[in-house]
Amino acid sequence: MSADLIVDTQIRVWVFLPIVVITFLVGIIRHYVSILLSSQKKVETQQFQDSQLILRSRLLRENAKYIPKAAFLSRRQVFNREEDGYLTQQRPAVTSSMMTDPSMMTDMVKGNLTNVLPMIVVGGWINWMFSGFITTKVPFPLTLRFKSMLQRGIELNHLDASWVSSASWYFLNVFGLRSIYALVLGENNAADQSRQMQDQMSGAAMAMPPDPKVAFKAEWEALEIVDHQWALADIESKLIGEEKVKTE
Amino acid sequence: MSNKSKQVPTVAYSESAIRNNLSITEYCRTSMAALSGCTAGLLGLTSLHGALFYIMAVTTLWLMILYKAGFATWNKYFISRKSLLTSGIFGQLFTYILCWTFSYGMVHVY
Repeated sequence: MSADLIVDTQIRVWVFLPIVVITFLVGIIRHYVSILLSSQKKVETQQFQDSQLILRSRLLRENAKYIPKAAFLSRRQVFNREEDGYLTQQRPAVTSSMMTDPSMMTDMVKGNLTNVLPMIVVGGWINWMFSGFITTKVPFPLTLRFKSMLQRGIELNHLDASWVSSASWYFLNVFGLRSIYALVLGENNAADQSRQMQDQMSGAAMAMPPDPKVAFKAEWEALEIVDHQWALADIESKLIGEEKVKTE
Repeated sequence: MSNKSKQVPTVAYSESAIRNNLSITEYCRTSMAALSGCTAGLLGLTSLHGALFYIMAVTTLWLMILYKAGFATWNKYFISRKSLLTSGIFGQLFTYILCWTFSYGMVHVY
């Protein structure tokens, strides 16, 4: 439009579009490779117990107003008793077993393989292959500060800050396409989505911080300070009142 | 809060259902951001016009979601309708900008 600079149309076909397509397809490939490499995580009974305990305590905390005060207090007592409450029991440290567990290491390597490696390889390749092109112009004015961010690989002082170089266009794509992946990959395969949903549902139970002690301590504190307010104090009259209305 | 809960009958929400609703609106929002971004780029909107267009699109989507849920019964499906609007504005801004830049570049720069 405002043609202070005319860009060759060939750049659009051979640089601008390919970068978008490559970034998008690499993201999809990465998704499927990570599915391929992912291993079923084994959960220790002890860990599972701990996380369920915390879930139970949270349920109690959030719904305390629906049970009588005596019931709430006795439940809290079970969790928070000083010598043998659920939340105050002693646990051996877990960190030592983490370091010796080989499956943790392979998980870390796999995570690196699917996340960091493609980033370096593809980013480097795009930097090398499409270096030094002006690809596009953002449709809004920007200040000079953005020059270093948007014009990586081009050192031109006179160029307006809203022009984007090829390397920066790649990074823009990497960050901007994230939610599009969620859309595309979420819609295309129902199986994957339901798996994710399952993960989410049990996620609170599965994802435990490595040290249960810390989580227990936090939960203990939260449970200690709950102020019991019974929400059902006048439930009888309410029920009877509604009954009356119905029968009349 | 206790005052309010006395006037309005307390509503219990199913957490997984609420989460499901929110994830669906998230899908809608991403689609909206991508579509409106492409539209803005095709129309050749620049600077402030594009931002206004985005705000308009977000508000329209919000109204549409509320219409779908029913203007009187929206609180059966969402806890807060204000947060439905505000999280919509900033959540998908980056997607919008990318699509806007992309289609603007394709059509108007070259």
